[in-house]
Amino acid sequence: MRKNKAMIFWFCLPALLSLVIMFVYPVCRTVVMSFFQVESVTATTADWSFYGLGNYFKIFGSASFMTSMRNMLLIWIVGGVFTLLLAMLMAVVVTSGIRGKKFFRAAIYMPNIISAVALATMWIQYIFQYDYGLLNTIVQLFGGDKVKWLGTDLKFWAMTGSFIFGSVGYYMLIYISGIEGIPQDLYEAATIDGAGKGRQFFDITLPLLKGVIKTSITFWSINTTTFFLWTKMFSPIDTESSTIVPVIYLYDMVFGGKGITQRDAGAGAAVGVVLTLIIIAVYLITERLFKGSDLEY
Amino acid sequence: MKKILSALLASVMVLAMLAGCSNQPSASSNPPAESNPPAAASQPAENNNNNESTGGKTITMWSMWSSGEPQANVISAAAAAFEEQTGVKVNIEFKGRDVNKVLAASLEANENIDIIEDDYKRIGTVYNKFTYDLTDMAKAANYDSFSYACLNNQSIKWAGYLNAIAEQPQIGGIFYDKDAFAKAEITAEPKTWSEFLDVCQKLKDAGVAPLAQDSAYCDFAFYHTLVRYLGEEKIEELDLNGGWSGTAAEQAAQDIIDLVKAGYFVDGAPDEFPSSENKIGFGLAAMVICADYVTAEVNNNTGTQVNWGLFNYPAVDGGADNGAAYMGANSLAITSYSQNPQEAFDFIMFLTTGEWGQKLADDAHQIPADSRNTAPADLTGTIETLQAAESPMTWCAGLSANADIKDTIKSLCVELFEGKYATGADFCAALDALY
Repeated sequence: MRKNKAMIFWFCLPALLSLVIMFVYPVCRTVVMSFFQVESVTATTADWSFYGLGNYFKIFGSASFMTSMRNMLLIWIVGGVFTLLLAMLMAVVVTSGIRGKKFFRAAIYMPNIISAVALATMWIQYIFQYDYGLLNTIVQLFGGDKVKWLGTDLKFWAMTGSFIFGSVGYYMLIYISGIEGIPQDLYEAATIDGAGKGRQFFDITLPLLKGVIKTSITFWSINTTTFFLWTKMFSPIDTESSTIVPVIYLYDMVFGGKGITQRDAGAGAAVGVVLTLIIIAVYLITERLFKGSDLEY
Repeated sequence: MKKILSALLASVMVLAMLAGCSNQPSASSNPPAESNPPAAASQPAENNNNNESTGGKTITMWSMWSSGEPQANVISAAAAAFEEQTGVKVNIEFKGRDVNKVLAASLEANENIDIIEDDYKRIGTVYNKFTYDLTDMAKAANYDSFSYACLNNQSIKWAGYLNAIAEQPQIGGIFYDKDAFAKAEITAEPKTWSEFLDVCQKLKDAGVAPLAQDSAYCDFAFYHTLVRYLGEEKIEELDLNGGWSGTAAEQAAQDIIDLVKAGYFVDGAPDEFPSSENKIGFGLAAMVICADYVTAEVNNNTGTQVNWGLFNYPAVDGGADNGAAYMGANSLAITSYSQNPQEAFDFIMFLTTGEWGQKLADDAHQIPADSRNTAPADLTGTIETLQAAESPMTWCAGLSANADIKDTIKSLCVELFEGKYATGADFCAALDALY
């Protein structure tokens, strides 16, 4: 069939317009806004006043923002290591030919089909509950004293642990699809050559999953930088420093919080730009680290 | 032919997309406002039953409740009754508690809204550029005679004019279980800090933990003590500039530390909301520092009917503001660009006073906005307290003045109730380290 360039253009136009109006324009506006003092996110440009890098100095000089960045970094590193390793382990186990493969796959993925609000409520009101919660019941069974899982010392880790629980299944599915794409011939040949399961994992599975790992790290970075709901659930009335993350800081800056009437959309925009730059940086670093990982087999 | 067909199809898609992006209200859901000029503020509808003067109009209200909540059910029923009486349709959109996240932007965009509903402080300070001056309409309705002067005066102080009508007045203090007090043979509510400590000891001796405390309200609880010692203005000054050490804030923190050390908080406190306050419903704790909605929360959560009482936070020796009490309101306001302000005001009066005001108080278990109505049994006395109050204490406004550190201050307050500080001076030093 002969290519009709005009037809391609007209059919692409709606998608292009949507992209420009709903994505490119807001992104550009946010970047520009981050250099201005703007109270309301919908204020007209006539109400903007140029502020240079003032918003960036403001957020990096803010104790709350720096705490939120530290929290995000911890979720990214600690949560990332646990989530991706557990997901990899589960994926390898589930694809190893064990009985009940479908059941385990569904069971591990199940937290992803439950509303995160319900999931967080279960953790807060049942598992971590001080008086009759699951964890303290177990602790007491072994003769220990009840632990304040949601006290200021442990709240962040309680939240991160719950988030990991809700995330493992998603990454497990990604790894399963990657593992199932690896030809069985390679494993058969390795088995004939006397390679054990461990050797096969480190010398076949892992190298051939580099591309998938790269993708999952990027996804995890995006999930971490847009971390929002779990903080809201673990700090139900108002934000607390033990659970604050940059998106919550941004949200409070732009819209105000309980009892807070100050708003600063310019600073909020600066936070948005910083987060975007972080995601881009992570993407570029993983691209460099996993260079040449897109193998065909 | 193919080219023409392709071009037509693409054009239709673009048009459909642009139509979808339009913010014009559809005729079916949001009929356009009529072109008649706003009703004179000084001429309220004298007869709500006059269908000829107001019939056929539609007003739009953005509510802070979620559909299905008791407040939402009453508002919907009131709107139906109002339409039946006046012919004015009230189109209600239940936006939920986070309505404040979208209201400012929507008002700036002149969204088709006549009535907004939110915390009266935000109405007075954030939305005030977009709110209608209700002074004349309120005067004509003799609003002063049955509303609460302290709330009206506060709205006027913030906005410069009366721009909010209280729908759900709130009052804070120490809510307690009268039965627990009776069990501990406590006959009088404490008025001073030493009397309060006596009450705590008697309760403890009677086998009831004196105080429940959820971490979500730790800053609110500590704020009461701070206000007693320093007053709100001084707290705000310290919050903005630091310098807590060496002030009476040290004694305020020490008072909390002493409560913790004496074992006056229920096991697990500060707990995750609402676990600790629920312990009053389970008979494990006797008192909680909160606003009046705690009574309904505990009753609903635990399925009990606690015999509630309320007293103001006790006075401290040499306190700067020993009489302050938290008072606030979720209120209703009319947009400055509303085409039907009089109809909107009539609906607000219809909803918050008389029969529907009483229903709102009963069903939502709240203090009536109309002081001529009756408060639910366990909120007895709240109307009189609100009427007698002169200037209300805010919800931690002093501790929230510095937005950059308010989250950290809140966490420090939780740590204070966790008993992490040996002395009040240590706590104030931790506060000063934030600057």
